[in-house]
Amino acid sequence: MIITYLGFQEITETIELTSNQKRDFNLLEKLESLDEVLITENVERVSIRKPEMSANKLAISTIKQIPVLLGESDVIKAITLLPGVTNAGEGSSGFNVRGGAADQNLILLDEATIFNSSHLFGLFSVFNPDAIKDVKLYKGGIPSRYGGRVSSVLEIFQKEGNSKELKVNGGLGAVASRLLVEGPIVKDKAAFLVGARASYAHLFLPLFDIDNKASFYDLNTKLNYRLNDKNSIFLSGYFGRDLFSVNESFINTYGNAVGNFRWNHVFSNNLFSNLSLIYSDYFYGLELDFVGFEWESGIQNFNLKYDFKHYLSDKLQINYGVNNIYYSFNPGKIKPNSDDSGILEEQLIKKYANESAIYVDVEHDITDNLSLEYGLRVSHFIRLGQDELNVYEDNNPVIFDPFQLVYQEADPIDISTPSRGDQLASFTNLEPRVSLAYAFNDDISIKASYTRLSQYLHLLSNTSSPTPLDVWTPSGPFVKPQLLDQYALGFFKNFQNGDYTLETEIYYKDVQNRIDYIDGANLIANNAIEQVILNGKARAYGFEILLRKNTGKFKGWLAYTLSKSEQRTPGRVNVASDNGRSNLETGINFGEWYNTPYDKPHDISVFGSYEINNKWSINGNFVYQTGQPTNYPVGQFEFEGIVVPYYGLRNQERLPDYHRIDLSATLTPSKNKGRKFQSEWVFSIYNLYARKNAASINFRENEDTGRNEAVRTSIFGIVPAVTYNFKF
Amino acid sequence: MKKIAFILFLCILTNCEDVIEVDTPSEAPRLIIEALLRVDRNETYIPVEVKVSKTSNFFEEIPVTSVESILITYTTMEDGIVISTGFSNLAEEVPGSGVYTPDPTFMTEQRIQTSILDDDIVFDLIINHEGRTYFGSTKYVPAVPFDNVTQGSDTLFSEDETEVIVTFTDNGERDDFYLFDFGFGNYLVTEDEFYQGQQFEFSYFYDMEFEVGSDITISLLGADEQFYNYMNQLIEQSGEQQGPFQTPVSTVRGNIFDITDLDNIDLFDNVEQPDVYPLGYFAIVEEYKQTITIQ
Repeated sequence: MIITYLGFQEITETIELTSNQKRDFNLLEKLESLDEVLITENVERVSIRKPEMSANKLAISTIKQIPVLLGESDVIKAITLLPGVTNAGEGSSGFNVRGGAADQNLILLDEATIFNSSHLFGLFSVFNPDAIKDVKLYKGGIPSRYGGRVSSVLEIFQKEGNSKELKVNGGLGAVASRLLVEGPIVKDKAAFLVGARASYAHLFLPLFDIDNKASFYDLNTKLNYRLNDKNSIFLSGYFGRDLFSVNESFINTYGNAVGNFRWNHVFSNNLFSNLSLIYSDYFYGLELDFVGFEWESGIQNFNLKYDFKHYLSDKLQINYGVNNIYYSFNPGKIKPNSDDSGILEEQLIKKYANESAIYVDVEHDITDNLSLEYGLRVSHFIRLGQDELNVYEDNNPVIFDPFQLVYQEADPIDISTPSRGDQLASFTNLEPRVSLAYAFNDDISIKASYTRLSQYLHLLSNTSSPTPLDVWTPSGPFVKPQLLDQYALGFFKNFQNGDYTLETEIYYKDVQNRIDYIDGANLIANNAIEQVILNGKARAYGFEILLRKNTGKFKGWLAYTLSKSEQRTPGRVNVASDNGRSNLETGINFGEWYNTPYDKPHDISVFGSYEINNKWSINGNFVYQTGQPTNYPVGQFEFEGIVVPYYGLRNQERLPDYHRIDLSATLTPSKNKGRKFQSEWVFSIYNLYARKNAASINFRENEDTGRNEAVRTSIFGIVPAVTYNFKF
Repeated sequence: MKKIAFILFLCILTNCEDVIEVDTPSEAPRLIIEALLRVDRNETYIPVEVKVSKTSNFFEEIPVTSVESILITYTTMEDGIVISTGFSNLAEEVPGSGVYTPDPTFMTEQRIQTSILDDDIVFDLIINHEGRTYFGSTKYVPAVPFDNVTQGSDTLFSEDETEVIVTFTDNGERDDFYLFDFGFGNYLVTEDEFYQGQQFEFSYFYDMEFEVGSDITISLLGADEQFYNYMNQLIEQSGEQQGPFQTPVSTVRGNIFDITDLDNIDLFDNVEQPDVYPLGYFAIVEEYKQTITIQ
């Protein structure tokens, strides 16, 4: 039996299982000076025999090695180095998994849903690396205990406080400083952890020649209390905010707040349970002084979860549980910001919903070589009543103009006023999950999986990456839930006693009811979003390869993905009630398949770290991606002095290919040896050869010359940075 | 450490944008129709002027063109019954200019009086060009006068901006859409959803400074929802509203379409031939103007 926990010494003990036993272990902290102790970090290693596939785990120690922008270690940037994971580049929020949209990722921080994972419009992620234990990303083969998003699950675990002694660590970086304190409340029983991170204000001061501020901060907390051998309670929380203001006339605040109370109870030696009560909230606020208004929007949810782990035998484990989430959506509240503002206070219609699920998941070793994981999740979603709901002719909120060939918002014929307890719509979905592994020996296996997932929430966003203002909307009478079927097949191999591992997979996925927007759709402050949405489809397929070197002075990986991601919204067929003629529609993009904004056929990521000696280690990564799909105008016209480019079919062109190299070097001063105070310097260079990677290309008329031009926006050139980290 | 942060940002955030060479695709030229008629109710006649041109590759000049005929017809309705009809034949004022106005050589008066706008009238625009017939239909939309336009002294994103503060009072009886023309190709659209019936004041920032003593004229135009949406999309697609986020692109279609093949027997719409369409818009709206002198 081997017990490992990062930063602590591994305990190996041989136990004779002649009777039921319960043992407690105290982990001793790993000391850097003990070179002779061999410490192996197992968390990232691929399990050849387990049916789990399409999943990657990263230890925070690895994440911290990856060279990053301005030295701020970043969970999201780290996972984009894995195969099948991309994002839209610098300054873009979220990430895309296997050709899926950013809103199709379930991001869990200690089980609580995080709705926006980015600080400063995507430059940094909201997770303070000091407060995190490890992260796990499921790209497919998602176990039935998870649900609600169709592309991936990113599970992030916060560290538990040290219950033995008080510890402090922190860092001074080019962008932000961090401080984390952990220690016992009651020795060996209760511990706390408090981590805070704050950026320096006036971050973008030089960007414009007038007064502006951009900053962020976040706070992570965790309390754990071991009541007795069978009961433990945990309380974890996160609070983060971004603040961005220009000249006091444009003030923007947004962020997440989450809290989780968890009770861990051991019923018996083979039945474990976890009861969690989780609150999560996303807030977005904006004040525009020059128009005289304030805006607030957000989403809140309450989640109750009860999960069981039941070890029936050494070959059979059953996990089961229930889950209920209540959502309240505030699409926006508008207020005058002063007495002399002409703006009237208005609350856009709030939306409410309830999502519940019950699941069972079986991990079953059929033979020594064949193991299966199979399960079923039954999800049920109710869109609850709201103050006002539009009623449309033929129940159709989007009408098609057969002459101009454009979709338009339908005028409501009536407004209903359902009560809060009414069900405006309800959906039940069966979500079977199966994966199997066949191991030829300890080093080679093949795996296959099928996953069905449903997603009831949709992020309203028609830019290539989400913006903080984007509003989530629940499924309901007009917007159907997204349904995914994913098939994956993989081959896994260990080389040289596990020094190297090879993981290859192919996948195909198909999403029904992916929402698409009609041309010119206005998504902000829209009380009747159903008037600009059509239900379409999406599909993606690809091949991924990940070759890792797991041990030795040189570690790292090479990841390559070949993939395709497309969507399509065909025209609906309506039979006219008056003459029985069927009216055809062209659909969006004339009903043709088109590239999603996250279609990146080739994606290469290389990461390596090399320990030169006790003092120095160097890390580097290289990223190459096919340019993101975009649109070039097929022509231009002029109307009343406005020069307007116009476009053909969607996403036919691409931005130039994206690539860059980042390097970092870590210096551990030799005086660290034998003292409690430990420090290190991290020197990093982002975008070594200063490639101007295009975030976008805009086509417009130059105001001074009157000539048309294509303007490339690139966010970063070469960025050097220094970070100082310490702990005691 | 703070100081380092500032220096770093200085060196990385210079020159975020640069102009690059891009080969853009081309397609066969399309007809563009600019038919926004701005009505001053104090004048006797509607200033009818329709401009035609052809689309071009994004990096080439937009050529003017001539068409075979342009006709505006108007139908006065009362309780859904046609009361009277009239028409206006347009002719190219200066040959080769692509600008069409009521034909002065016609036997009868081709100008349209503003007094008829009191009635419920539908205006139709019919254009013949190279064997195709294009058609658009619109109704007159009134506006409201300015309460005040003054020059402000604030700036928003850079020092060399000019602020104007616009005040007007919305008509509380109806849902209004407005188009502001600030000149120099600067437009703004707004709807009264959040200030219904209120006096509303807002600031507009020109991305330039004007010489002291120069005059700027600002227009407030009425719009219906469709025209509001059209102008809103034009402004977005023209790249005028720059932000950190890429605007989703589209082809902005107006209210004029190709009716050549629509016989209403076999063919009722253009769904089967989605590529035949002109660009541009036909609208008749009330306009109020205000001129301020820069100080």
